Amino acid sequence: MNNNQALIPPVAVIAYSALSACGQGNKALHQALSENKSGLAPLEFLNVPFKTYVGAITQQLQSLHPELIDYDSRNSRVALTALNDTDAGVRVAIEELKSKYGSQRIGVVIGTSTSGLYETEEAYSELLRTNKMPTNFHFVKQHAYQATARFLQVELGLCGICYAVSTACSSGAKAIAAGQRLIASNVCDAVLVGGVDTLCRLTLRGFHSLDLVSENPCTPMDRNRQGLSIGEAAGLLVLEKCCSSNTNNMKLLAVGESADAYHMSTPHPEGIGAMSAMKNSLRMAGISVDKLDYLNLHATATKINDRVESTAVYSIFADNVKCSGTKGLTGHTLGASGALETIISLIALKYQFIPGTHGLEELEIDCKCQVVKTPLHDQKLHIAMSNSFGFGGNNASVLVGL
Amino acid sequence: MNKIFFIKSFSVCCPDVKLLGNIQLQASDIDKTLIPVDMRRRTSMATRMAITAAKNACENAAVETHNLPSIFASLGGEIQVTDSLCRSLDDDATLSPTQFLNSVHNATAGYWGILNHNQAATTALSAADDTFAMGLLEVCVQLQSQGGNCLLVCYDELWPQYLTPPSGSFAFACGLVISLEATGALGSISMPQINVNSPVTVSKEQVLLAQSAPAGAAIPLLLALQNKNSSWVPLNTNSPIWSSELTVFQ
Repeated sequence: MNNNQALIPPVAVIAYSALSACGQGNKALHQALSENKSGLAPLEFLNVPFKTYVGAITQQLQSLHPELIDYDSRNSRVALTALNDTDAGVRVAIEELKSKYGSQRIGVVIGTSTSGLYETEEAYSELLRTNKMPTNFHFVKQHAYQATARFLQVELGLCGICYAVSTACSSGAKAIAAGQRLIASNVCDAVLVGGVDTLCRLTLRGFHSLDLVSENPCTPMDRNRQGLSIGEAAGLLVLEKCCSSNTNNMKLLAVGESADAYHMSTPHPEGIGAMSAMKNSLRMAGISVDKLDYLNLHATATKINDRVESTAVYSIFADNVKCSGTKGLTGHTLGASGALETIISLIALKYQFIPGTHGLEELEIDCKCQVVKTPLHDQKLHIAMSNSFGFGGNNASVLVGL
Repeated sequence: MNKIFFIKSFSVCCPDVKLLGNIQLQASDIDKTLIPVDMRRRTSMATRMAITAAKNACENAAVETHNLPSIFASLGGEIQVTDSLCRSLDDDATLSPTQFLNSVHNATAGYWGILNHNQAATTALSAADDTFAMGLLEVCVQLQSQGGNCLLVCYDELWPQYLTPPSGSFAFACGLVISLEATGALGSISMPQINVNSPVTVSKEQVLLAQSAPAGAAIPLLLALQNKNSSWVPLNTNSPIWSSELTVFQ
């Protein structure tokens, strides 16, 4: 594959903010990645009938303004806390873009798999006890998929496009894809994109019912891996059309998307869908395979996902690209993972290092890819990719560049 | 940039067809035979309704479903399955894995892909009262960057009435095949926009319909297509109103 013309214009990433089990803000995430320090811990704050480790956010979350209290959910509080992280500067960036372009020209597209389900579960406990939903339960503003996107839009005083993408574990990556297209179509000048998902019993018990949850901290790509550790996170990114003020910012090059059309929970055994998402991102960006410097794997640590992803990655890049899976640090943050791991890829580019694969001791026997165990510093990186593959065979690969 | 898109076909699926009698919109019932028995057993009303609308729209447009990108827009998505799972959480028994898989918002998109061996990108989105408007917008934006055809399905099934009554008190789904190519099109439509200067009026009847069936926000567009009325059509019912200019080819 040779370098060709891009099929979609790149957009500038002018700010990003991460909140996860690795802490609040990009510095905390950078430090955890750099030291390969896991944020996983035994599950405590939810009552489920099995033992597991989770990547829970332990920071104090900010509270919503009283006039927006109908939107109150753990998901919205996590999003608000990431939005207001002053060091990351997402809020300031949006305020500046509002004066530059007008509030109707800035879209909001947020990926999530379960939105405010934590609160919904609590409301159902009351429903089952009293036969009535609690009076402060607002289905559309708390539970429904776009609740967090809408909250962010109202909180920021924006008034244009606003929706949620919910395609399970590829949601955050697909929201990034939607943001780039909205700018390419000149419908928006800038878009707040990302993914926000929070721990809840339904997700934990659902994955457990599929026998996919590990009792111990997850070990991505390890031959003895036993399944997922679920996490929660917000990953927010501000995308702006390329212009003279953002020439030095890192760029979102393209997002490749595909569907497996194979099975609701099991990936295509030959990784057809995963391959096509990765290839599409390179094709759309006009980038040849030999230009990729780092690949952040989806690497959930389930038996089949990691094996299939290895096959797909090897078939495109052979063992030429350094790869790692970071879910041993953050847990699998589901609908937020595509956004969080795009931010991880941006941090890798910014600080010129390859994150490690926490938990990996002995590589999966069939994996011939170059999977990095512990962080490699002083690298020369220009282009990175982040993979996200979700239930329903829904795949997205995000390509970013310096 | 291309701001005009072509509607190749539309279809309406409403399990209680009589509900649409007052507004004279033609619709079909759920066609269970479109989903093989093995898969049908596992699918929800939302999925069956959405797949009926999708299949009929593709047939009406005579497009191949094999490589057709698709957008599935729904406010509540798989709300009945989610409701059933939420009701079982206080019990320690293992959840049904099939129900868990079926609770994701993109379950219908996944089944549609499997049914049609369709490996093209598919997205499931949600935008409260603006779900239909944002779905249509996402289709137009995708067509601009990728060309070809795109399927839009907007649907919401019956909801438990303790969630947010009267929302979801009637079920409704529609499908549209939209294209950058004019050949064989029923009409053209402009990129959805908030039209401040010439606001589109939304009738009380439309508001009531959309309140009880969120996907019913598509009804003004569907009626205008059926009755061959070229006009600006509202795509939602709460301010600010999103609208598109529909030009029906005679």
